[in-house]
Amino acid sequence: MFVSRSMTRKLITITAEEGLFAARDAMRGNGIRHLPVVDAEGKLLGMITDRDIRSALPTEWIRQPLSESKMEQLEALRVKDIMSTELFTITPNYTIQDALLLIEEKKVGALPVVDEQGYLKGILSVRDLLRAFINVLGIGQPGTLLCILVEEKVGQLKRIVDAITEENISFGSILVAHYWEEEKRAVFPYLLTMNVSRIKKKLEGMGFELLDPMKWYLDQLPKNE
Amino acid sequence: MGSSSESSDSPEREPTMKRTGFLFDRRYLLHETGGFHPEAPERLTAIYQGIEEGGLLPSLTPVQATPADLRWIETVHPRSYIDRFNDACIQGKKMLDTPDNQICAESYSTALLAVGGILNTVRMIMEDSIDNAFCAVRPPGHHAEVSEAMGFCYFNNVAIAARYLQQEWGIQKVGIIDFDVHHGNGTQHIFEKDPSVCYYSIHEHPSFAFPGTGRVFEKGSAEGTGFTHNHPILPGEGDDEYRKIVTSQMVPAIDAFEPEFLLTSTGFDAHCDDDMSGIQLSTEFFTWIMQQIVALAQRHTKGRVVSVLEGGYCLKRLPELARNHVSVLLNA
Repeated sequence: MFVSRSMTRKLITITAEEGLFAARDAMRGNGIRHLPVVDAEGKLLGMITDRDIRSALPTEWIRQPLSESKMEQLEALRVKDIMSTELFTITPNYTIQDALLLIEEKKVGALPVVDEQGYLKGILSVRDLLRAFINVLGIGQPGTLLCILVEEKVGQLKRIVDAITEENISFGSILVAHYWEEEKRAVFPYLLTMNVSRIKKKLEGMGFELLDPMKWYLDQLPKNE
Repeated sequence: MGSSSESSDSPEREPTMKRTGFLFDRRYLLHETGGFHPEAPERLTAIYQGIEEGGLLPSLTPVQATPADLRWIETVHPRSYIDRFNDACIQGKKMLDTPDNQICAESYSTALLAVGGILNTVRMIMEDSIDNAFCAVRPPGHHAEVSEAMGFCYFNNVAIAARYLQQEWGIQKVGIIDFDVHHGNGTQHIFEKDPSVCYYSIHEHPSFAFPGTGRVFEKGSAEGTGFTHNHPILPGEGDDEYRKIVTSQMVPAIDAFEPEFLLTSTGFDAHCDDDMSGIQLSTEFFTWIMQQIVALAQRHTKGRVVSVLEGGYCLKRLPELARNHVSVLLNA
């Protein structure tokens, strides 16, 4: 779960001396919203985002052609004039969890990945994180989600995992979440099989309560109001 | 429709009834999936008994199962996959690709007979010796991908039938309605770029049920955009939600497509007594949805519809479900 495995390595970058329109075209042409700004050696100097560009353009731009003098003014704008230089960077050996927490805390859409000398190695965007979590959840593969309610005590998960393993069923993922009742946990094994009726009966026979997924999906997690 | 003199096999059929073909063969029981597997031969025995005990057999036209010509299977699956399946059976392997797909020595030949029987059924309709049909086959097909067995399926039966209709009989537009409780990932993927086949699936929501595809935003791609329709239904829902979707979404979508031939991936596993899903449909719903489908066939395909069995695992309910299903076809 290291950033080096999930980051985008094929980088689209721009230099500080290029114009604002060049930056906009590079983003449009590549379907991206974040451009790392680098020097001739590939050291990271800043970041420019599509929002930085939109903020730099006057609002009347959308409705009517701009006067020549205004255009000249805009064309004179360099990347270095509008890029952010207060950067939140990570290194390739950050974990995905580090990146997830940092992106959430700093409210950014992407994090540049640099080595210890400050050379740009990659970029990790929210989309890269999403892909990593689709992988972690196992939902890119065919499978079935079970929802099991267990008492919070040592060894419960082992019993579930053992029972499923004995049925020769592979796990796509297994999540454990807080339940609204104290001292209970909800366990969500995502099983890489269509054939779940037997394991469901078996788990019920072992005394586990299988939940109706509609009564409990992830909606009971603490909400961000 | 159709004169009864053409089908001497069904002397008991009332003159007002459709000439309904029934594909069944004892050899479909030979594909064994090991103990405790829901996709078991008993499913077909239950279906056959339901139709027999309902007194419907004399009204039906039997369809013969013969092994499919590989060239038709190759319209969907590459030879390398077909051979891999055959080899696995010959070598005595116990599974193909996933533990869900248990095999025995007879699995490959049974799968060939399933496809061959379905193609025979389609041919009889195109030759106007029957009007519509129910194909009670094993193994099922709609999860089978181009080169991968999945979800109890090996060859994609309906997909091959659609290609056969197009290439052998010049049918341009084929509609496939899939009401098995699981999404037919294989069928969708085979046709998702193809505007000549409209795939409509209604199934349990993929966040809860196998195979995890068939989300509402999967609508086909490239030229096929808009010819794939998915309607996921949340677990716990039943007749009301399904009827609403069928009436307001499925029927208009098929009407708009104007197919020349209809195939159905018929699964009975959304029944409330079937423990393969969280969907709670009644026995009556399955009669109702088939009535909607034959009505679509009357409007667009001269009544031509072939129902191909996919899932359905509740042995207690399968007899009545199959009996009602066939009755709808006979009385279309």
